[in-house]
Amino acid sequence: MRDLVILFQKEWRENTRNFKILWIPLVFIFFGLSEPLTSYYLPQILEAVGNIPEEAMFAFPEFTPAQVLMATMGQYQFIGMLVLILGFMGTISRERKNGTGTLLYVRPISYVSYFLSKWKVVGIIALGSVWLGLLTSWYYTGQLFGNIPAIDFLAFAGTYSVWILFVVTVVLAMSAWLPTGGAAGLSLALVVFVQLVNSLLGTYWTISPWKVSTYATQWLTGAPDISDFWWTIALTIIFIVVLVIFGIWMSKRNASKTKV
Amino acid sequence: MSALLEANQLTKIYGKELVVNQLDFLLEEGTSTALIGPNGAGKTTTLSMLTGLLNPTSGSIALNGELRADVRKEIGFLPQYPQFFSWLTALEFTEMAAKLSGMDTRSAKVEAQKTLEFVGLGEALRKKTGTFSGGMKQRLGLAQAIVHRPKLLLLDEPVSALDPVGRREIMNLLKSLQQNMTILYSTHILNDAEEMTDQILFLRKGQLVERGSLGDVRAKYDSPRYRVEFTCEEDALNFAARAPWKVSYHGTTSFIDITNEMPEMKEVLGYLAGSGLSVRKAERQTASLEEIFMKVAGQA
Repeated sequence: MRDLVILFQKEWRENTRNFKILWIPLVFIFFGLSEPLTSYYLPQILEAVGNIPEEAMFAFPEFTPAQVLMATMGQYQFIGMLVLILGFMGTISRERKNGTGTLLYVRPISYVSYFLSKWKVVGIIALGSVWLGLLTSWYYTGQLFGNIPAIDFLAFAGTYSVWILFVVTVVLAMSAWLPTGGAAGLSLALVVFVQLVNSLLGTYWTISPWKVSTYATQWLTGAPDISDFWWTIALTIIFIVVLVIFGIWMSKRNASKTKV
Repeated sequence: MSALLEANQLTKIYGKELVVNQLDFLLEEGTSTALIGPNGAGKTTTLSMLTGLLNPTSGSIALNGELRADVRKEIGFLPQYPQFFSWLTALEFTEMAAKLSGMDTRSAKVEAQKTLEFVGLGEALRKKTGTFSGGMKQRLGLAQAIVHRPKLLLLDEPVSALDPVGRREIMNLLKSLQQNMTILYSTHILNDAEEMTDQILFLRKGQLVERGSLGDVRAKYDSPRYRVEFTCEEDALNFAARAPWKVSYHGTTSFIDITNEMPEMKEVLGYLAGSGLSVRKAERQTASLEEIFMKVAGQA
């Protein structure tokens, strides 16, 4: 496991020096900040933009604090997922393609450590970014729209974290399996497209990793069906474990494709 | 000397293409072996199998007599175009390489610095590898390959991408390593092989078509001859017409084939001295490795 520590340090250093550790949290904080602010100041924004007839009358909806936090998560579900997928799609495949992986693969490293070092660092950055963004959103929502109990927020963010970990694992497993373009395409399909399918046809099933974000929001308005919730969490964790095993296997199998 | 590595019937097939075909060879401890062959002969594929990057389709590799040994623990590898993480400094990269090869943190730091100084990168320890020139990258590649003092050093075309000065410097470094490590390197620059080789393995279309010490291979393929250079074409022509041996000529130069060490050089010189012909130069010629390479590579 010593190689896990060394490779973890390498990954951390890489993400520090290419500033992913900075810009990815900033993107999530930006959306966490902008959602409550734009919702609150929407009338003033429209007025400032101008070109609205004087006689025009708008009935602006009254947002509840839960709706604002859910809207933030809505932004994360599309733009946030894009950022995570595009930011980390080449984590493994790029090392193979440009040959930097070669000088790692010829050393007595374990592919478990190789994959897990990347999974841990990407997981920390993704979860850290999402939590910073959601905390920002929670704070400003509390200031502008009303308080959301901390326990509800923690249940919401904690549940959503399982989804984020699932997304990160999908991206890394795809990167271990496919070239960077393929990894991005399939990750987008699995995360964004299947989610869309789930929102259209999801009434026919209640247990699926793509339901995690729905259950997360239900903590803000009450509570999800506990049985369905825990089965979904358990199934998602099983998916994560299977994807991690798949990613380790693919990292090892595809090491021979590295540029020599 | 004992065998450090033994390749037995090593074969690699991609789809329907036979890239490496039943290679058998031994690398004895402390020796230096050149893997020679034209482009596409299977040199890089062979090295990739030895490094553990590629699994052979069939055949085996035994290290110190152990068939299932993880060769990665005992090797250092320099690819033809080594690629580094551009955001790491030379020292950080070499230190990481040493630690991943099993060195403790303190030794890794000390050895990384020493090794970088040894390869001539002492001034660039803290420079990011992304700013390195081709020659510097090759030196860094060599440093990461030897920092953990491997038993077997595998080098894929270590100097082919370098200019003559860089090539000379790297060759000198490799020669100094020869005493402590077993080295296998692929090359198509035959002067290098001539300089630093105990054993030659000639690959052609994935097959080992010739092997042995440079002397053995040379003896097998050499066609020795005397080369006599005259001051004018007329003398060369006269010599070809009158000499008691079979002589060919081209311009002002004549050639006498040597068969079973006959004629002897003193006979030729004696004849020339009494012939009244104006000789500029007379010498015995042996085939260069390049000529041998052309002969071996051209085999049907």
